Amino acid sequence: MGKEYLGEFEELVLTMVGILQEEAYGNAIVNEIKERMGRESNLSAVHVTLYRLEDKGLIKSKMGGATNARGGRRKRIFTITNAGVAMLRAMKDARMDLWKLVPQLKFIGGR
Amino acid sequence: METSNHPPRLALRFVKWICPAHLYEGIEGDLLEAFDADVVALGERKARWQLRRRALGFFRPGIILRNRFTLSFMSMIMVRNYFTVATRNISRRKAYSFINAFGLSTGIAFCLLIYLFINDERSFDQFHENKDRLFRMKANVYRGHREGESKSPYFEMAHMSLGLAPALKSEVPGVQYATHFCQSRALLKHDDKIFNEAIAYVDADFFSMFSFPLQEGNAAKLFSTPDEVVLTPALARKYFGREDVLGQTLLVGTKPFTVMGIVQEPPANSSLQFGVLLPMQSWGAYNPYNLEHWINQGFPTFVQLQANANAQAFRASIEKITEKYLGDEMVKWREQEKLSADVPVYEMGFTKITDIHLEKAIAWDNVSDAQYSWILSGVALLILCIACINYISLALTSSAKRRMEVGIRKSMGAFQKQLVYQFGVESILLAFLSMIIGLAMVVLALPAFNSFTGKAVHLGARDLAMFIAVALGFALLVGLVAGSYPAFYLSRFKPAQVLKGQFTSRLTAGFSRPLVVMQFVLSSFLIISSVIMYRQMEFITTKDLGYNQHQVVIIPTQAGWDENSARVVDNFRARALQHPSVSMVSATDNPFAGFEYMIFGYAVKGENKAIYGYTIDPYYLQMLNIPVVQGRGFSPDMPADTVNTIVVNEALVRDMKWKDPIGQYLNFHASDPTSKGAQVIGVVKDFHFLSLEETIKPMFFSIDKNNGRADKILVKVAPQDMDLTLDQLQKDFAAVAPDKPFEYSFLDENVAKQYAAYARWMNIMGFSTAFAILISCLGLFGLAGINALNRTKEIGIRKVMGADMKTIFILLNRQYVWLALLAFVIAVPLSTYAMNRWLNNFQFHITLQWPLFVGSMAIGLLVALAAVSYHALKAARINPADTLKYE
Repeated sequence: MGKEYLGEFEELVLTMVGILQEEAYGNAIVNEIKERMGRESNLSAVHVTLYRLEDKGLIKSKMGGATNARGGRRKRIFTITNAGVAMLRAMKDARMDLWKLVPQLKFIGGR
Repeated sequence: METSNHPPRLALRFVKWICPAHLYEGIEGDLLEAFDADVVALGERKARWQLRRRALGFFRPGIILRNRFTLSFMSMIMVRNYFTVATRNISRRKAYSFINAFGLSTGIAFCLLIYLFINDERSFDQFHENKDRLFRMKANVYRGHREGESKSPYFEMAHMSLGLAPALKSEVPGVQYATHFCQSRALLKHDDKIFNEAIAYVDADFFSMFSFPLQEGNAAKLFSTPDEVVLTPALARKYFGREDVLGQTLLVGTKPFTVMGIVQEPPANSSLQFGVLLPMQSWGAYNPYNLEHWINQGFPTFVQLQANANAQAFRASIEKITEKYLGDEMVKWREQEKLSADVPVYEMGFTKITDIHLEKAIAWDNVSDAQYSWILSGVALLILCIACINYISLALTSSAKRRMEVGIRKSMGAFQKQLVYQFGVESILLAFLSMIIGLAMVVLALPAFNSFTGKAVHLGARDLAMFIAVALGFALLVGLVAGSYPAFYLSRFKPAQVLKGQFTSRLTAGFSRPLVVMQFVLSSFLIISSVIMYRQMEFITTKDLGYNQHQVVIIPTQAGWDENSARVVDNFRARALQHPSVSMVSATDNPFAGFEYMIFGYAVKGENKAIYGYTIDPYYLQMLNIPVVQGRGFSPDMPADTVNTIVVNEALVRDMKWKDPIGQYLNFHASDPTSKGAQVIGVVKDFHFLSLEETIKPMFFSIDKNNGRADKILVKVAPQDMDLTLDQLQKDFAAVAPDKPFEYSFLDENVAKQYAAYARWMNIMGFSTAFAILISCLGLFGLAGINALNRTKEIGIRKVMGADMKTIFILLNRQYVWLALLAFVIAVPLSTYAMNRWLNNFQFHITLQWPLFVGSMAIGLLVALAAVSYHALKAARINPADTLKYE
């Protein structure tokens, strides 16, 4: 596949979409990132990233069913596509290959 | 969970407004969900703020640009129709549209020019890679204080002690590099090419400090020996005809130097300008005496601090250096001036290299006054503002005529929104047109602007792109505002009424009256200022200086500071006087205006004094028509005159309080306090040997070669056939000084050149004035149009009642005369204040008198009347039957 480049935050959001499966929508991803990574993210930033990933064909979206919560607004549910999974895997492999090339790192005390 | 809380409605509406419709539901849902969670966690008040913050977060390109500006089929057709109607309307009233667009174009053009100008001012010395660590040393020096003098007793200068650069480098820890930068002139020679060049003496560090890229040569090794020279490519071509001249020899004076480097020409926005770089050590002034005597100052010095150096620590170090090397001198200084020990007499400081250009207190090439930039940008913004509002009011007048069209459109079923679009499209189209015209005007006017301002500004691709972007946004905004007001206004009426002709509403443009006053204040201010500047420049260029500066050619002998120069002068005189066009030949060491001068400092009865000294020859006073009022001038027949005799001016006689000046002695050599000095043999009438910025200071003439060498030839020539005369002079000069370049200038031109900077500002002011007048006339034109339109029926009735053209003309124009007068009353004190400050630059200046103001007012009023008369005449000539037939 054409080597599309993914930014760090894009990769994070893509992974979250993969993790959350059928429950992946904007707010849930913000909460998931906070819970798993301890990191604050902007709702708007997450939304923009989701749309960008969708443009790249790595995820796709559909509207969920109506609920009583959320003022009756439907959720936009995102699911990871095959291309998205392949991308995640390719990135992980590339990381591992590079990791192996690093001379045995030792953590030396202090900083 | 049901949302029972109340999310802020405005924030949600905002999000709805900016979000693409298909994304909105998901986004709003997420916002509400987060809001509900926040209410539980933080309480409702905080939750509302959180939502607002999040909502604002969606105002980002990633969301907004997702809006697809798709147009449905119907509106596509309508948009095409808008364009068609817009172009038809614009082309139907070509003159009107042109005037309308032209006003905005001039505003845009003027702003762009001023922007380029200010950008250039601010770009000075920004190209140095180490610009944050490069500093020029300066000194704040006690100049002495005279009774009743309001000027500060201190002055600042960048001419430092010769020993400062080496001392800073070796003794101050934070200093990485230090160099001198001393400008001078010298004769350069290669084969038969001899020219007098501006040169700069620098140290080896120069090449590591500044970002003047070397085209050839090794920066690290340059100037390790004192016989190296570095040239710019232009100079290499001038002497050698090519640029790869490393290792070639060039004579500077009589000493051979080897070309070791080619350095790129300094850009126009560099405060350091040079063509030839020579090592400091090769200069005569670089000697042990000057190195040791820190009191001898005249050597600009630059330093580069270490990356981690602390400016505070550096300041402390240079204080120590000052104390160490100048401490004794300062004690003496204070004694002389009778100052207490705590009064500083010499303080060193430093200026960041990027600030040099605007540090006007310190004399330097190319230094400029930041104040002018501020004034100009203020004027530019004001002009742009006025241009925009004019555009709007002009658009208003022209669209008011179209209420019939609006009525028909409405009765055909047009929505108000569509009418707004229609007028919007029209005015945006016109605004774009004016933007294009404006940019074209800038491109056309740039060469003229450059010669006005003495700059080399060019429109870079980046500037252009940025400006087009800004101007586009601007055109859009102005177009929208200009279009929407008439659109909303006109589309409000009931079509039936309009079409039946029962429509008698007045077009209100309440904002335009104060606006017209404001633009007239600006125009009047600029008109008065320009007139005053013009008169002052006229005054100083035509003022009788007390001597005759016309028809005098100056030719430097370039023969050096010795007997040779006198020989060249004598030989030249013998030849030149044979031409009928040459009436006299004389010589001096420093011709006035533009050349250097010599000041002798001396003390009389413990009081420090300074005197300007000029060495001349016996023909000089007669040639320049300087009248001798007492005693006599020098005579070629009296050899005794050449020793210790002087002719002084009246200012000196007054200063010395001599009753009978002839026969008095004056010792102006501070180094020899015991001598009696020179005897006064004559007194000349006061004349302006300095520029008119200065008062007439005490001065003397002598023909004693111990005081200086008269090495510049002055030739009095006939005004006819100047080219031929110069040709002959060049031949004569070549015959008597075959190895020296023939350079000449005219004394009167040099005198005028002293005021070049003022003349430049006068030009820029004139330029702004023209723009301001043009634009405020357009504003008036628009207002007059609105007015005439509103009173069409009134005029009709008046005409029916028998009013003649004249009455109606006066009726319509009276109020503008009042507006212009009001504006003038506001502008007079403003410009009086500003111009008095400007005139204070000159010791000799015109006084501000009422004819100046009345004259300016007459100009302004005439222009205003010309602008409003079109509408008045048109309204007055209209047949009343046309306007009244519906009643």
